[in-house]
Amino acid sequence: MICYRCGQEAGNEKRCPSCGENLAVLKKIRIISGAYYNQGLEQAKIRNLSDAVISLKNSLKFNKYNIDARNLLGLVYFEMGEVVDALGEWVISKSYQPSDNLASVYLDEVQKNRGRLDSENQTIKKYNQALHYCQQDSRDLAIIQLKKVLSMNPRMVKAHQLLALLYLQEDKLELAKRTLRNAAKIDSGHTITLRYMQEVNRRLKEKEKNSSKKSKDEDLISYQSGNETIIMPKRFKESSVGTTLLSIVIGLLIGTAVTSFLIVPTVRNRMKEETRQQMLEASDTISSNGQEMKELESQIETLKQQLTEEQENSVKVESQISSYDKLLSAYVSYVSEDFTAAGEALDKVKTKYLSKSAKSIYKELSDVVMEKYFTQLYREGYSAYQKGRYAEAIEAFKQITDEKEDFHDGYAAYYLAQSYRRSNDLQSAKPYYQYVIDNYPDTERARTAQNYVNAQEQ
Amino acid sequence: MINFEKELKNFKPSAEVEEAEAVIQNHDLSDVTDLIAEMLREAKGNR
Repeated sequence: MICYRCGQEAGNEKRCPSCGENLAVLKKIRIISGAYYNQGLEQAKIRNLSDAVISLKNSLKFNKYNIDARNLLGLVYFEMGEVVDALGEWVISKSYQPSDNLASVYLDEVQKNRGRLDSENQTIKKYNQALHYCQQDSRDLAIIQLKKVLSMNPRMVKAHQLLALLYLQEDKLELAKRTLRNAAKIDSGHTITLRYMQEVNRRLKEKEKNSSKKSKDEDLISYQSGNETIIMPKRFKESSVGTTLLSIVIGLLIGTAVTSFLIVPTVRNRMKEETRQQMLEASDTISSNGQEMKELESQIETLKQQLTEEQENSVKVESQISSYDKLLSAYVSYVSEDFTAAGEALDKVKTKYLSKSAKSIYKELSDVVMEKYFTQLYREGYSAYQKGRYAEAIEAFKQITDEKEDFHDGYAAYYLAQSYRRSNDLQSAKPYYQYVIDNYPDTERARTAQNYVNAQEQ
Repeated sequence: MINFEKELKNFKPSAEVEEAEAVIQNHDLSDVTDLIAEMLREAKGNR
């Protein structure tokens, strides 16, 4: 028992152990809640579900922590086809008492059986659609939809009642009666079911009365004999042979006329009606199939998006792994003083995939290694330049200047320009000559560079 | 005598599973104990 004053657990004490509040009133309230729960349980046992709902709601109004009442209310809702209300009660129940609670079992059952939950949801959607059809006065479509609903979920009391109302409106009293009986099998005490049943019985009695009165009038003949009124059945009327033959002929003529004017059109009308019903069912099936197709298409779209995201993620993860791999091999090469291999490995590291700490390691390593790597590369390039292997020299100097254009006081850029010129590619040499002229004026290199640039321009 | 239009108004659309969260959030969870606590608070405030 939770104290209403301080909100602390008070057990079964008369006074709250925390704040000392007298809990006698609270105890009485708990007793009333329990009494309503017992009443609800009894009503649920005899399938008077709507009254059980009222009792259990009352029980919860007195004590919202009455877990048994809440769980039973959810179960009753579920039995009546009100899945969402049932789930709501069980979720609340579980939040009040997370362990040792039947609601967890019910929720697990629902979650395990996703197919059934989806089917229940489809039923609810179809019921709502049927209600919409009713509001638009498309009663035929509503009846078809409700029949589908009940074939999928025969426990949905509301659907039975709405179908019965439609049958009542269409004056299909026997069908209405059957539907209401089915509703009463699930919930025997529902006021709407009982009221509609009363209406069906009243109308059926009225019809019976009218038909018996009519047949009575048709079967009897009455005439006045003196002071007495004679009432006698028609079939005892005496008739001659001629009259009999005439009656037979007239009967045959009437029979033919009835067949051609009444029965044939009726049969035709019935066939037309059946065709119309089939058309309506077909159009309804088409519309539900269209809806399902749309849902499936949207599912496909979502799955495609997920696939693209997963592929992107996989590429990202691969790049991440490769970057860390390269960083590690760069470190190993650095330790073994192979600066070329270390530099090449560092060159392939994509820093955007590295963590913050890995980035700082990369920077430290890169500062040390790259300097040594470029020095080595510069040596190799210069040696190749001196030996006239200009392609090799270009490759080495280009690699340096791409990363650090001012390397070795601009000599890397200068020798790159020279290598280009000696390979007869003055066009590529020019930007590097220009770099030397702009950044190292008043040097021999700048003057030489200026001469070559001028020579090219002339 | 049953009036179809009037009866139809008694039928409300059922909540769909997608709306379950909203149904739970809008659930009125107050009970008599909450009312008593509220009254006690108000009485205290008036003093």
